[in-house]
Amino acid sequence: MNNIKQEYAYWIALAHLPKMKTARKNELIVKCFEEKLSIVDFFHCEISDWHKLFSLNENEILLFNDAKKELPNYSFLVENLLEQGYDIIPITSPDYSPIMKSNLKRAYSPPLIYTKGNKQIMKENSVAIVGSRKAEDISLEFTDNIAKTASRDYKVVVSGFAKGVDKQALDSAIRYKGQSIIVLPQGITTFTSGYKKYYKQIVDGDVLVLSTFFPKAPWSVQLAMARNPIIYGLAKEIYVAESSKKGGTWSGVVDGLRKGRNIYVRTPLISEDNANNLLIQKGAIPVDIEGNKVEDYSISEIKESVALESSSAYDDIDTRIVKLLSQGAYTSKEIIGRLKIDWPTGKLTNYLKQNKNVEAVNKKSPIKFTIKGKRNLQQSLF
Amino acid sequence: MTRNEAEIKLKRIFGFDKFYDEQWKTIELLLRGERVLLIERTGYGKSLCFQFPATQFNGTTVIFSPLIALMRDQVNSLNKKGISAKYINSEQTHEENSQVIQNAIDGKIKILYIAPERQENQEWIEATRKMNLSMIVIDEAHTISVWGHDFRPAFRRIINLVQLLPKELPILATTATATIRVQADIEQQISGNLTTIRGNLLRENFNLFVIETKSEDEKLLWLAENINNIPGTGLLYTGTRVNTEIYARWFDFVGIDSTDYNAGLDGDTRKEIEIGLMSNKWKCVVSTNALGMGIDKPDIRFIIHTQIPASPIHYYQEIGRAGRDGQKTYIILFYNSNKDDDGIPEDTKLPKAFIDGGRPNIKKYQKVIDALKLEQFSVRQLMKKTNMKQTQIRVIKADLVDQGIIKEVIYGKSKMYEYQYNAPELNTEKFDKLRKAKLKDLDSMVDYVFTKEPRMTFLCEYLGDKLPGKFENCDNTKYRKRLVKPRQSTIEKLKEFRETYFPVLPMAPSTSKKVNENSELSVRIPKGTYIEVYKNHILLENVKTIDEVDTIKSLDSSEKEYLSKLISHHISYKEKLADGVASSYYGVSNVGSALHRCKYENGGDFPDFLLKLTLKAFRKTFGDRHFDLIVYVPPTSSGELVKNFAEKISYVLKVPISHKLVKQRETQPQKVFQNGYLKRDNVEGAFTYTEPDEIINKSILLVDDIFDSGATIKEIGKLLTNFGANHIVPLVIARTVGGDI
Repeated sequence: MNNIKQEYAYWIALAHLPKMKTARKNELIVKCFEEKLSIVDFFHCEISDWHKLFSLNENEILLFNDAKKELPNYSFLVENLLEQGYDIIPITSPDYSPIMKSNLKRAYSPPLIYTKGNKQIMKENSVAIVGSRKAEDISLEFTDNIAKTASRDYKVVVSGFAKGVDKQALDSAIRYKGQSIIVLPQGITTFTSGYKKYYKQIVDGDVLVLSTFFPKAPWSVQLAMARNPIIYGLAKEIYVAESSKKGGTWSGVVDGLRKGRNIYVRTPLISEDNANNLLIQKGAIPVDIEGNKVEDYSISEIKESVALESSSAYDDIDTRIVKLLSQGAYTSKEIIGRLKIDWPTGKLTNYLKQNKNVEAVNKKSPIKFTIKGKRNLQQSLF
Repeated sequence: MTRNEAEIKLKRIFGFDKFYDEQWKTIELLLRGERVLLIERTGYGKSLCFQFPATQFNGTTVIFSPLIALMRDQVNSLNKKGISAKYINSEQTHEENSQVIQNAIDGKIKILYIAPERQENQEWIEATRKMNLSMIVIDEAHTISVWGHDFRPAFRRIINLVQLLPKELPILATTATATIRVQADIEQQISGNLTTIRGNLLRENFNLFVIETKSEDEKLLWLAENINNIPGTGLLYTGTRVNTEIYARWFDFVGIDSTDYNAGLDGDTRKEIEIGLMSNKWKCVVSTNALGMGIDKPDIRFIIHTQIPASPIHYYQEIGRAGRDGQKTYIILFYNSNKDDDGIPEDTKLPKAFIDGGRPNIKKYQKVIDALKLEQFSVRQLMKKTNMKQTQIRVIKADLVDQGIIKEVIYGKSKMYEYQYNAPELNTEKFDKLRKAKLKDLDSMVDYVFTKEPRMTFLCEYLGDKLPGKFENCDNTKYRKRLVKPRQSTIEKLKEFRETYFPVLPMAPSTSKKVNENSELSVRIPKGTYIEVYKNHILLENVKTIDEVDTIKSLDSSEKEYLSKLISHHISYKEKLADGVASSYYGVSNVGSALHRCKYENGGDFPDFLLKLTLKAFRKTFGDRHFDLIVYVPPTSSGELVKNFAEKISYVLKVPISHKLVKQRETQPQKVFQNGYLKRDNVEGAFTYTEPDEIINKSILLVDDIFDSGATIKEIGKLLTNFGANHIVPLVIARTVGGDI
């Protein structure tokens, strides 16, 4: 089995395996990678090897045995998808978005993505513009500005094809002859009207449609929510046009901040009733309507202030940690001690796990961290 | 499972005592989850190699087969043995196919036959997600190779599928006809861990003859005098659909019991004929090579080709359908070696035309590509956009899909074609290479005609078989050459036939209605006088009036009630067109060239012989009928030709002529348009009749020169029906062959 296409049915079986977290799936993929085994080899392993090599528990073995039975069925699905021009991209493929891998890491990177269009777009610098479905005009203007700048700078605009800001981001990118990724809240084959509408852009290589869900899945609220982290994952920079205090944009940004992402939020006018200021207080970077950083932003003007470390606090810690780790490997507790950081150990461990500059040396606790690439020179999957 | 254990099961399930060694070898590999290519001659017992393991597996075995007749035969015989087998194909209704699919999902089917084209069907694809699949079989595997004799684009997808299937899923590909080159191509395409098992393909019970003629007529003459002397029943293959009709009518004329069959017939009629063939209902079935492939009839005693096939492998495949019982079988090939003015043998023209016409020119490819760069289109939209024939579009899209330039994408129930980002340039070298290879194959076929060596030796060497000995079963060895020396009376008879045989123009509309699951009724009024009643597409009876419906014994009372309503509906709403008649086919006599001279080379009025022939066709078909009025199709560019012609007919028949059928808008000559959609658009609403009151309750003879798609006649029929005509009968000089759609 030397043809990568022969692996696709296996990838679908793994990616859509129920009752198993993405992190665990990626762990198995990494193990295959390290052992120089293909996913085909993994599926056809003896049960003893599943135990020994991959530490699968009884429950997981049952899951994989069931999945194995469906392989011929998935082969039919794969044939159908490829025949219609959809691309199937496993996480091990050189076509897989490097940005997503570095943003979402092992814990959240989807093991398999489906696309239609120019997949090279995933390799370009990218900007996500997010916001409410019922955004104010000023937010749409902001979106247009960001998309214009991004297109001028050859950056790809990532959006989720919802109403409001998403739609504006896409339309503007197209208007300014930029490139876009549409991240679907549904399976890749169910975007009928969109494929008709953006036919020319897809054919010309300016639009890539992407989905992480089962190819035939219809739109649903759950998928729309699950789609948001993928948008954040595919983008190097995130711009927030408008967010309310709950919903997809809010939780996406809060999650992003927790993972240490740089997120730019439009500074709202006093008259606006939205949660943009709250996000800025939580550590997002304030920008004006053109997307330029606002230097003199003052949180004191905001009534509902929430005390939290400013983004510069993170920046500072980050620099100091990188400096320390470039000298060796340390546990979170050791780092807190040496750098005198006022954080609980658990928080720092999580922070380090998400940090793209840092990697773990061992698996068992206490985990030691060091600077990425320092440990060994072998290419790693993430 | 040991061979011994397997053979005990074989006896119990199939009633056979033993496997042949190569059968067991194949089965053993499949039971181990491996891939096998099995090349054995027709009648060897290839089917058992998948049927037996299929009964041993838990889930469903899917067999991709292009042969509907084979599916039907094998399913019947498996069901008789108590094995649950079903098929999915175009012969069944949508509901029937859906039911089979549901049964397959529910795990109620062990062996499922399916046409490869079904791989494009969404319902099937959905079903494949839920079925428990245990083995995949590709029957007639040579069709996956472009170097084979019957390449089918639909099989490309089956190959793609095979390349995606998981390790350990057994796959069997079988064929009875593969040269070494085709074998290598199949092996490479199926890939994976594949074992090839190849047996000897020769057939010793064949008596092979080639009969060289100097004209087409000589073929008809020899057959009229000799076919009844060949023992048993058999098949006569003609090169074209039109010839199936002509040969069958000729056989009728000289009292040879025959029927004609071609892919243009509807499914039920085809099924009827296949059943009739099995029970030796006719001395001979006249057919294109669509018939016989996959039919499990062991005693086809002769196969006669009136045209050389495209290559020796085509020929081997087609004659392979005969004499499967091992008894003496006659295999006869006609070859008209007469050369035309350019020195080209007559009988190489048709196969050469297929090779050259098989691919449209490159500009047309580019036209399709350019259109699809801007917009997604369905086939129908593409035909309209590019003004190309459906057959051309079909070839072009298959090639473009094959080269990865466009894709066929399914949205809901519609199929759209889409250009691909970053698509490669069109590779035309491939086409040239294939064309050259096909011309070489055709040369080899002509070599077969003139070879001096034993004919079986020639075929075996061509297939790449190892030869076990010397053959003496042909007219180059033991048997005398057959020559054409017809009696004068037969020659007279053929002349008479030529002058009295007139093609029908099938214009009478029909109306159908499903009464219940088992019964579909349809009616048509072919001559404007009586009503044909069909049940499930089979002609039941002719009735004169609705009142006579009650006398039809084979219908129950509810069917009768439906039928009465159906007839009233038909009479109230359908065009009053009857089946018309033409004096000749356009291409098969001097009629076409005479028409062409007059229409396009300023040759003046249609010559008198055309008038005489057309009147003869009229008298033979409608001699006893009264007509009130002659109306002719108003011209686009050929001036007064049709008008003058219609006036002469009016004069001879003493039926008044009307000049009041006129155009109310400009139309293009229909021949400009390459497909039925555009032809229909071209004439829609184009005509009117200036004094419609004249038409009420009239029987009208509608005259035109050439009948092609029938779109113009249909449009005028609609108009005259609306103005109250009683019936409208088309009469034309020539009917073209292969009118699109």
